[in-house]
Amino acid sequence: MSSYSRSANGGTPVARADDIAVLEGVHYSVDDKPIFRGLDIAIRRGHITAIMGPSGTGKTTLLRLITGQILADRGTVVVDGSDVAKLSRNGLYALRRRMGMLFQNGALLTDIDVFENVAFPLREHAKLPERLVSTLVLTKLHAVGLRGAAHLLPRQLSGGMARRVALARAIVMDPDILIYDEPFAGLDPISMGVVMRLIRSLNDALGISSIVVTHDVQEVAQIADLSYILSEGQVVARGTPRELRDHPSPIVHQFMDGLADGPVPFHYPAPDYYQQLLHAPEARP
Amino acid sequence: MSVVRDMLASFAGFFARVGALTRFFLRLLWLTPSGLRRPRLVVEQVYNAGALSLVIIMTSGLFVGMVMGLQGYDLLSRIGSEDSLGIGAALTLLKELGPVVTSLLFAGRAGTSIASEIGLMRATDQLSAMEIMAVDPMRRVVLPRFLGGVISMPLLTAIFVAISLYGVQLIGVQYFGIDQGQFWSEMRGAVEIEDVREGLIKGLVFGLACSLIAVFEGYNAEPTAEGVGRATTRTVVVSSVATLVLDYIVTAILL
Repeated sequence: MSSYSRSANGGTPVARADDIAVLEGVHYSVDDKPIFRGLDIAIRRGHITAIMGPSGTGKTTLLRLITGQILADRGTVVVDGSDVAKLSRNGLYALRRRMGMLFQNGALLTDIDVFENVAFPLREHAKLPERLVSTLVLTKLHAVGLRGAAHLLPRQLSGGMARRVALARAIVMDPDILIYDEPFAGLDPISMGVVMRLIRSLNDALGISSIVVTHDVQEVAQIADLSYILSEGQVVARGTPRELRDHPSPIVHQFMDGLADGPVPFHYPAPDYYQQLLHAPEARP
Repeated sequence: MSVVRDMLASFAGFFARVGALTRFFLRLLWLTPSGLRRPRLVVEQVYNAGALSLVIIMTSGLFVGMVMGLQGYDLLSRIGSEDSLGIGAALTLLKELGPVVTSLLFAGRAGTSIASEIGLMRATDQLSAMEIMAVDPMRRVVLPRFLGGVISMPLLTAIFVAISLYGVQLIGVQYFGIDQGQFWSEMRGAVEIEDVREGLIKGLVFGLACSLIAVFEGYNAEPTAEGVGRATTRTVVVSSVATLVLDYIVTAILL
């Protein structure tokens, strides 16, 4: 049984010394619309932690809080021992140099080729001999299976290849934390399998702490050590994938089984269907 | 009442935008010394904003000069002063037409290119990716484009004026038969170094304004296709109006 089995509920996680990121009592709103209302999450060092939840629950916002792109209205976000809100710009950049992030669309720089994209952080942060840069870049590209695509431009890559190049760029500075934003979205089954294996193998081989934001339940269940499910601004469940499948909460059941209707309704709030059809105007105003 | 409220809201929005633009400009000025320590990035942008605008600048300059030659000769021949075509054309081009037309062309070619490129980088998360990689997009993306534009504009203005004068000469000397020696010597005798300086100062000021507006609009574009389109349109409109307003202000100061 996993060490997380006792915590397979929505209760407050207990922060441990080996947690690499801890969010406590985080409140965050956009235009007075609350996104998080007292969010508590702890990310274990060296593990793969999945953050799941229906669309619009603030999963990407959570990543932006961890990376310090936005600050919480209330509560604390501590990453690798540093309170993100209290860091200066230089301190924040020093923290980010120990992070890597894979964006949903790869976010490759479109005017330079694959090699230069992967070399970009090295050239910006380290004055290394060209031969060493070349060795590092080719090593990382080899790790994601795209050493042969080094000369291609981002527009010549498929979606799966672009994401693998972005992954090579994310690990080129040997980060402590690797953050994945919807890494499986829009990928064919082969690319999805490749990315899944890469996430697991990079985490194990490099000793990285990984945070995977996704709503691909089946895929993440195969690689995550611990999963959180968010809904309505809070953690509604956490535990191993197996524990989440047996969770009694209706919303967790709906999410894990992919049911169209449930606590998260299929229909957006609307007036009565038949009344609206009966009184529909001839032309929309 | 609602009309008054809307007007007040518009004024408030306008001043908020001017304030944001001023802060943006001050941040760029603060970063400029570090930007100049990476000259390769600036040179790339001088190429993008300047060299790639050469064709449109030179073509437009040639035809503007030829039209000036036709109109100027027609006007001056009515008072029997067609030999003064060179002087009139040179002063008009150096002091007014050169910087203003170059600036309008620059806003349409390089300004839109800069704004849409930065806007698309925002929309496709490239700027966010840089921030996560601990690379400041203001320093790495915005500043080189701003400096590239500022450096390019006076150079483009000089090229525009030179090509336009060649166009005037083509019509005045080659077509209407004004004496070549008289055309150039009268021009040399009448044009002062202050006139050249005025043109270059205007080129620099317009280049600063157009480049600032382009990078500001692109950087603050809404990250959607519609948002990038709006930012591009605003770049042309605001840059054009700013050019004409600044032209009056700089002329009033320098005269």
